[in-house]
Amino acid sequence: MSKQEPTRQPSDPTSKRQQLRLEQERAAKEQRVRNIITYVAVGLGAIALIGGIIWAVLTYGSQATKPIAVKVNTEYTVMAGKADAPVIIDIYQDYICPYCGQTEQANSADLDALVASGEAAVRIHPMNFLDDASMGTKYSTRAANALVSVAKAEPDKMMAFNSALFANQPEENTTGLTDEEIALLATQVGVTQATIDTFASLTYADFVTSSTNAAFTDGIQSTPTVLINGTQFEGNLLTAGPLKAAVQAAAAK
Amino acid sequence: MDALERLHRFRQTDAWLYSVILAAAGLSLVASFVLSVDALLLAANPQAALGCNINQVLSCGAVGVSWQANLLGFPNAFLGLITEPVFITVALGGIGGARFSRGFMLGVQGVAVFALGFAYWLYSQSMFVIGALCPWCLVVTLSTTVLFAAVTHLNIRDDNLFFPPRVQQGLETWLRLGLDLLLVVLVLFVLIAMVVVKYGAALLA
Repeated sequence: MSKQEPTRQPSDPTSKRQQLRLEQERAAKEQRVRNIITYVAVGLGAIALIGGIIWAVLTYGSQATKPIAVKVNTEYTVMAGKADAPVIIDIYQDYICPYCGQTEQANSADLDALVASGEAAVRIHPMNFLDDASMGTKYSTRAANALVSVAKAEPDKMMAFNSALFANQPEENTTGLTDEEIALLATQVGVTQATIDTFASLTYADFVTSSTNAAFTDGIQSTPTVLINGTQFEGNLLTAGPLKAAVQAAAAK
Repeated sequence: MDALERLHRFRQTDAWLYSVILAAAGLSLVASFVLSVDALLLAANPQAALGCNINQVLSCGAVGVSWQANLLGFPNAFLGLITEPVFITVALGGIGGARFSRGFMLGVQGVAVFALGFAYWLYSQSMFVIGALCPWCLVVTLSTTVLFAAVTHLNIRDDNLFFPPRVQQGLETWLRLGLDLLLVVLVLFVLIAMVVVKYGAALLA
């Protein structure tokens, strides 16, 4: 654009015409720039919209066609019962997740009986993705770390300790149980002091985080998720009975 | 006159700008209402299974019980219930042909600035601190962006903001070039892209 100011001589008709012409040129140029900007804006919006739809369809489609059977990563899990039991029950859980607690309360007697009879083994995937729900105390990690510590040192106490943690489950968005309260629960189910003393060092915090990541890699979308021999249990977890029946049906196969 | 030119002219009209304000404020009001009801349910029972607890990422529960959700000692959504009807009233007045004084529109701009700042602060808290996203809050974030853009557009067009002449001229040029549209598209794009990048496929679970 020319930096020249149009000469201001209102009496001169030539200059007036020139001024008008300059004004028109300026407007036309402005319109060209505006059109380009509009194209960019509309184009960007359209690309984003189409890209979003394609992404959603592809993602959703890949989920829909995914087989219900889950390929379970067992590296970061702890198990109660024999590894060669006819039925393996995988439980993905977080100690502050309310439905995990309700699931455990409803089914713990059945699970204990199934493990005791050798019909099934319970493989717990201790997760900590709800660490943000305990006001900074990372209750999910602390509780899961304690469970893994017990499972590694005194595996026969694991299920009882798991039940005790859920029976005394804190509400979401509270600070959770203190380390002392967790230790007391462990004492009550017969865990030795030597094991309890290791809780504070959070030896298995990384294990729990790895377990959480492995669970997401497994495709787990929420907790509690329960698998029976690698297939997701779709029935009602919040009441005693359906899970046990499904496990026994799987054992009979 | 070509279509683009007509579109540009139309975007400067009262009818369009006030309608955008009406739609955005209406959407925010609906979202605020839902969030307010949720806040009451959560207050009664912190473990209430809310309609929008879609999965661990999209969770009203986790967001609703955070301190950020009750910044002023009551649920933030109540602010929406108070302020959105003001925007709706102004928009309906504008569509009906009412003229508002510069001072009044400056006040409206002030509320819009406050609303935008608050919405973005909550968005960032929800994204980076709480680690869960609430769908209705996202609706408020996006519609508040649109509302702010429309209010500001209107006020620049009518020179309601008491800017020095040079600034005012610059902003008018900005509007004439349609850069406001590009900016709004870019901001909405970034807001949504951040959610998708951070949470990805978990959103559809």
